[in-house]
Amino acid sequence: MDITISLNCPACGGTINASEGENVVICDYCDSALFIEGDSGVYTIAFKNKITKDSVVLESKRWWSEGFKARDLKRSGKVVECYPIYLPFWNIDLKVAGWICGYEEHIHTDSKGNMRKERIPKEIMIMKEYVFTEIACDPGDLGIRNLRNLSGETSFEDFEMIPTFESTTSRDDALQHAKDDAFSRARDSTRLTEITFERLHVLPRRIFLAYYPIWVVRYEYRDRMYVCTIDGVTGKIISGRAPGDPIFQSLAVTAGASIGGLIAAAGILISQADPGIALAAIGAGVAILYVFYRFFRRGSEIIVGDFSERSHSPGEILKEISEVTRKFQRVYR
Amino acid sequence: MKIVQIKCPSCGTPIRMKNKERIFLCDNCKMMHTRNHGIESIDYEIADFAPGTAGERMYMPFWRLYCDFSIRSKNVERGSFFRLSQWIKGDRDSGMLFVFIPAFDVSLEDFKILSTRLTLNPPHYHTTMNFGGVPRMPVLLTKEEAQELADFVVVTIEAEKPGVLQYLDYSLIVKDEKIIYLPFIKTPSGPVLAV
Ligand SMILES: [Zn+2]
Repeated sequence: MDITISLNCPACGGTINASEGENVVICDYCDSALFIEGDSGVYTIAFKNKITKDSVVLESKRWWSEGFKARDLKRSGKVVECYPIYLPFWNIDLKVAGWICGYEEHIHTDSKGNMRKERIPKEIMIMKEYVFTEIACDPGDLGIRNLRNLSGETSFEDFEMIPTFESTTSRDDALQHAKDDAFSRARDSTRLTEITFERLHVLPRRIFLAYYPIWVVRYEYRDRMYVCTIDGVTGKIISGRAPGDPIFQSLAVTAGASIGGLIAAAGILISQADPGIALAAIGAGVAILYVFYRFFRRGSEIIVGDFSERSHSPGEILKEISEVTRKFQRVYR
Repeated sequence: MKIVQIKCPSCGTPIRMKNKERIFLCDNCKMMHTRNHGIESIDYEIADFAPGTAGERMYMPFWRLYCDFSIRSKNVERGSFFRLSQWIKGDRDSGMLFVFIPAFDVSLEDFKILSTRLTLNPPHYHTTMNFGGVPRMPVLLTKEEAQELADFVVVTIEAEKPGVLQYLDYSLIVKDEKIIYLPFIKTPSGPVLAV
């Protein structure tokens, strides 16, 4: 992270750059040790908005013409409102240290089909650093939950002048969420079948509240209203809803169904000798159908961002699928 | 938010430093304090170099935590005896123990080596009143962080031996904490303790 804040040394007046969330600073000119006192222990910074309304509209229109969205969206879509807001985000850097012990279970099958369960005891040391971000207010229907960009110009003097969303979650709540998140990430990293012992410690290194500029674009397409948001620092789309293309959808569903069916059928034909291959092929066919189903289930809308009824990206669905088929193979081979 | 100049809470002398630290040591009256949760004074000790030590000298700070430690039960797969029980003063599976934790910036590997070796084999030394012009590494770990890590050192000692630790039920209560500056000399194969 390369966020810096400019300050003046109270001892010699020199300009100092402090990095965000840090409470001790040394003056480059007079070596004085300086201490930054946050309001009730919370350090707050604001990112500066770097983009104009025109470029926000341009980026929205670029997004409209991308992917499987309605093909006349770029032509017929009309921006109704476009304005910046500042949303508060908690930013927490923490370190997790400790041990997780347990075992991995492996199932081996010999040539006669006998199964043997093997248990490998493991002790795993954890010493990792994590960064956690979380929105600190209720953003309504904007589809924003965390902050992806963490570099940009900031200040902590003039943000009181700009209209912001009030922070509604406390520092302690955010810290608890960050700890829970770090614990579960540490646990996941061990890949143990079963955990028998765990002692983990969280050392929070830096906590700060960042106000981040986000442009809200509300637009109209065929008498319906949609919204998208643009990052006020990077100028890139963050979240949004857009009408989908009905022709793409029906084509895709048809194609998905036929490919899935073909693979399954071919699998059965080729492998009449080996039921294992046939089962795997049926699995693959079902999987492909499932991908198309999940991707187009929402029908008329294309969604990006963290909306509560989350749309799944094709990548996430594929991951889900590979887990489903892995279980499938474990049962039948 | 406001910015203030850090001054010694005892004599008011402004603190100056070249490297960032989590503790503030007054040049005038030698008081050490922190500001993590309000102003708090910190106990510290400087260990003297053994007489006749040759080589380039430096001081490294450690948190030394005096801990009340007891084991309720444990299970080691294909394992051996309980290693810490030989070292704690008291009954077999409980007693008092000094846990040493490097307070300076150190790699994970060195952290493990230094903390387990010093905890299993606490150094004996004479103390001195000042650093005698020898450079010292900055303290980067807070007292609270050191308290969290005491537990980690104990489990590391148990885990870093033959056999795989599967279960360990124990309690560890930190009774007292102090910074100990230990003397080291630089050698081609790394710093060597010089007490
Ligand atoms: Zn003083």
